Amino acid sequence: MSVLNKELNLSDLHQGDSLPSAVKHITQKEINLYAEASGDFNPIHIDESFAAQTPLGGTVAHGMLILAYVSEMMTAAFGKSWLEGGKLSVRFKAPARPKDILTITGKIDSIEYKEGIPHVNCGLESHNQKGETIVIGKATVKLSS
Amino acid sequence: MQNKNNDRLPITFEQLVAGYEFPPGSYELKHSVIAKYLEAVGKPGKQSSPALEFIPPMAIAAYTMTAVLQSLSLPPGAIHTAQELEFLKLVPVGATVNCRGRVAQKLNRGKLHLLVIELDALNQDQEKVLSGQATIVVPS
Repeated sequence: MSVLNKELNLSDLHQGDSLPSAVKHITQKEINLYAEASGDFNPIHIDESFAAQTPLGGTVAHGMLILAYVSEMMTAAFGKSWLEGGKLSVRFKAPARPKDILTITGKIDSIEYKEGIPHVNCGLESHNQKGETIVIGKATVKLSS
Repeated sequence: MQNKNNDRLPITFEQLVAGYEFPPGSYELKHSVIAKYLEAVGKPGKQSSPALEFIPPMAIAAYTMTAVLQSLSLPPGAIHTAQELEFLKLVPVGATVNCRGRVAQKLNRGKLHLLVIELDALNQDQEKVLSGQATIVVPS
């Protein structure tokens, strides 16, 4: 069954539950592919000699690429409800660099009702292999009926 | 991805003021475009799946950002520091998405400038499918 069509039962969701985590290996090849696909050719992402001379000291992944991984985790957890009722607010705390291994995790912070519709509030985090926080934020999913 | 309304000269960062509205854009998210996007985000197996009916919302967000920001000439080294997004409606693969952007804030922080841009994406019926806000740090 497609993850988009999976049944989501509110009774299966509880405060404190962890969302299925995702692990991603960042490579320069992947960053270049993302630049091609998205049309974002900022040299900080793709030009190693330029990026080496900036305070970042080297190329970094696009923030929107990291958010694609976050969204993938949320889609795996909440299916179509995320695609048509998801809300995300994040800060990029540190750059994700080529050769980094990112782990994206999430946890249900609370479930609340707004106008009778359940909303699941989640805390999100992505950290690299050194334990440095790359992305931190929160997400809310309005559950479809 | 090709913005259909890309025929104006870029505005420079210095010319931007709070309240500035970027030229509206539109783009068609064909199956081939989404396949390329999925390959880039490490999900190549999904590109030929008949189950792929809907465009991943982060693809809409990414293309909306690109469509809006391609009319802006940012100094190299500009960095994305925060993002807010709200996904409002499913968008089928093959749809044309219209997008618009507005400068919400432009602030100076010493040698750095902070730019906050509001983004909206709309479907062919002019219903909002995504809205968001990007914060970008721009070096002097």
